[in-house]
Amino acid sequence: MTADYVSPFDERVRQPEPLAPRPASIAGLRVTLLDIRKNRGAEFLDRVETLLQEAGAVTSRTTKEIFSKPAALDLIERMTSISDAVVEALAD
Amino acid sequence: MQGASVGNSLPPAPELAVSSIDPEPVTLARLTGGGPALLLFVSEECPTSAMALRKLGPLCPALETRGLSCTAIFEDPLEIALRVARNCGWGGSVVSQAPPYQSSRQYGLISVPTAVLVGKDRSIVASLAGWDQPALAELIRTVGADLPVPAATEPLRKPGCSSKAAIDPELAAAMTSASADDELEEMFERGWTDGLPVIPPTAERVDRMLGRFDAEESLGDVPPAMGTATLRRLAACAVLAGCRPEYFPVVVAAARAVLDPRFNLHGQAVTTQPAGQLVVVNGPVRHALQMNSGMGALGPGNRANLTIGRAIRLLVCLTGGGMPGTLDRSTLGQMGKVGFCIAEDEEVSPWEPLHAERGFEPGQSVVTVIGCDAPLSISDHRSRTPEDLAYVLGWAAASTWSTNWWPLAEPSVFVICPEHAAMFRAAGWTKRQLREFMFETVRKPASELRRGETTPFVHAADPAAQVPKWESPDGIVLLVAGGEAGRYSAVLGPCTGMGYQIVSAEVQSP
Repeated sequence: MTADYVSPFDERVRQPEPLAPRPASIAGLRVTLLDIRKNRGAEFLDRVETLLQEAGAVTSRTTKEIFSKPAALDLIERMTSISDAVVEALAD
Repeated sequence: MQGASVGNSLPPAPELAVSSIDPEPVTLARLTGGGPALLLFVSEECPTSAMALRKLGPLCPALETRGLSCTAIFEDPLEIALRVARNCGWGGSVVSQAPPYQSSRQYGLISVPTAVLVGKDRSIVASLAGWDQPALAELIRTVGADLPVPAATEPLRKPGCSSKAAIDPELAAAMTSASADDELEEMFERGWTDGLPVIPPTAERVDRMLGRFDAEESLGDVPPAMGTATLRRLAACAVLAGCRPEYFPVVVAAARAVLDPRFNLHGQAVTTQPAGQLVVVNGPVRHALQMNSGMGALGPGNRANLTIGRAIRLLVCLTGGGMPGTLDRSTLGQMGKVGFCIAEDEEVSPWEPLHAERGFEPGQSVVTVIGCDAPLSISDHRSRTPEDLAYVLGWAAASTWSTNWWPLAEPSVFVICPEHAAMFRAAGWTKRQLREFMFETVRKPASELRRGETTPFVHAADPAAQVPKWESPDGIVLLVAGGEAGRYSAVLGPCTGMGYQIVSAEVQSP
C-alpha cells in the first residue's frame, strides 16, 4: 500500500546546522544583542548586556523589524560581520 | 554495555536488504566506501529508538565528514521512517525494511535500537543493543579518538524494545493485521492527520484532485518548517481533508493567498495565540460548489465549507510542519484551527461583497484569507434603530484580544446575520457608515484602560483621551452570512502582532 499513497509531507531529510564553536572566554568578545521587539525583551537584554560588559565583552544592540517574522538576511549578515557572538532575546 | 558483543573473529556483515529514497541501491560497499559504517536499527514505536535517533542524529554530519557513515535502518515503511527521522533530527541516511525484516534477522537482532559498527572491510566490529551512552561513545572512539560522541546526559542507559524480526511471524501478523487492513488507522500511524479521520491520499485520488493542474508546480515553501507546497502535495492535503476535486481550484487559490509573504503565515503558524486562518469565499464559485452561506454558515453541515478550510490547515500542519504541540505553540488553540471557511451571502447582503471592496469584479470568484480568533456570538433581538444595533455589535468587540488592549492594529471580522443586515439595509446604511459609527462609538478614556495588559498608546495618551478600539474604521471587516431567522451576528477577534495584511486571490482553472 505504501507506494500507492502521496505524502503530504516534504520528505527531504535535512541536515541540522552545526553549532558554531563556543567561545573560550567572554573577555574582549564583540557581542551583539538582538532585540526582536517582543514585549519586555529590551529589559531582559539590559540585564544580559550589563553582565556581559562586567565580564569584559564589547556589546552593541540592534533590533529586528518585528518579532513575528524571520530576521532579514541583511540584518543577519550585518550582525555576523561585526560580532563574535549574538544574543537573541525571546521574551514575554 | 547492554547486549554488547565485541567480536574477536570479526564476522562478515550481511548485505542489507533495504529501500531508501535514493534511486541507487543502498549496499554495504556504498556505506563503507569512505570508511567504517555505523548502522542503527530502529523502530517507530520504540521510545528508546527515538531517543537514540535524537541523541546520535545531530552528530551524524560531523561523523560522516570524519569518515564514519551513519545509517538508520527502520523496521517501518519508508515514509514513516523519513518522518520519524526528520522529527528526531537524524542527520544521517535513512533506509527502510519491509516484513519479514530480513536485515534485522541476518544481523541477529533481538531488540531495537541496536547499533552495529561495520568496518571498512565489511566485517562486524561490534554491536550494542539498547541505549548505552558510555559504550556507544567508546564504540565511536574506536574509529577515531577525536570523533564527536553523544553527550553523557541522563539516562545514560535504557533498554530497547523487541525487534519486529524477533517476534514470531504469526504473532507479528496478529499484532499488525488490525492496522494493516485498516487504511484509516494507517493514516494515523503515518501522522497524516489533524487528529480526525482522513481520506487516504491514494495516487488515484490525488490525480483526480489535480485534474489538469500541474502536479509539479510549486506554490512556494510552507512555514514554519518550509516544506515545499507542490500542487501534488496540496492535492494530497485536499484529499486527506475530504475535498471533492471540483473544490481544488478554491483550495489552490486559498493556498496562494496564505503563502503570500504579506500574510506572514510564518508568524501565524507558530504563535501562542489561538488564531487560525479564515478563508472567505466570494463570487459564483460559492454556488457552483453549493457552499453554505445561510443557516449555520459558521458551523458544521456543508462539505465544501468544512473541507476547503481543513485542506488549508492540513497544508500548514503537515507540509508546513505547523502541527499543534510541535512547531505550532498555540497555548489553547481553537476549533477554527481545524479549518475555517466562510462563503459570504452576497445575495442577502445590502452591501458590496468583500472581494468587490478589495478591487475584484463581482463576477469573479475570489478567496480572501484573514488571521482570526474564534467567533463570539452577539445576540441582539431588541434594537430598533441601526444606531442601537451598531452600538451592540461594536461593543461586543471591546474585549476581543484583551479587555484593555486598545486600539487594535489588526482587523476584526464581523459576520452580520441577515436580520441585522436587513435593518441596516432599511436605514440605507452603507458599510462605510457602519464602520465609522462603530469606530466613533467604541471608545474609552485612557485612564480606564490602564490596567493589566494594555498598549503603549494607552500609556502615552492623556488620561482623559478617548481611545478607540481600532486604529481606524478600516480595521472592521464586514461580511454577511447566516440563516434568515434569528438575530445573532458574530465577531472574530484579531491575530495581533503579525504585521500582516489580508490577502485575496482569484480562483482560477488550470
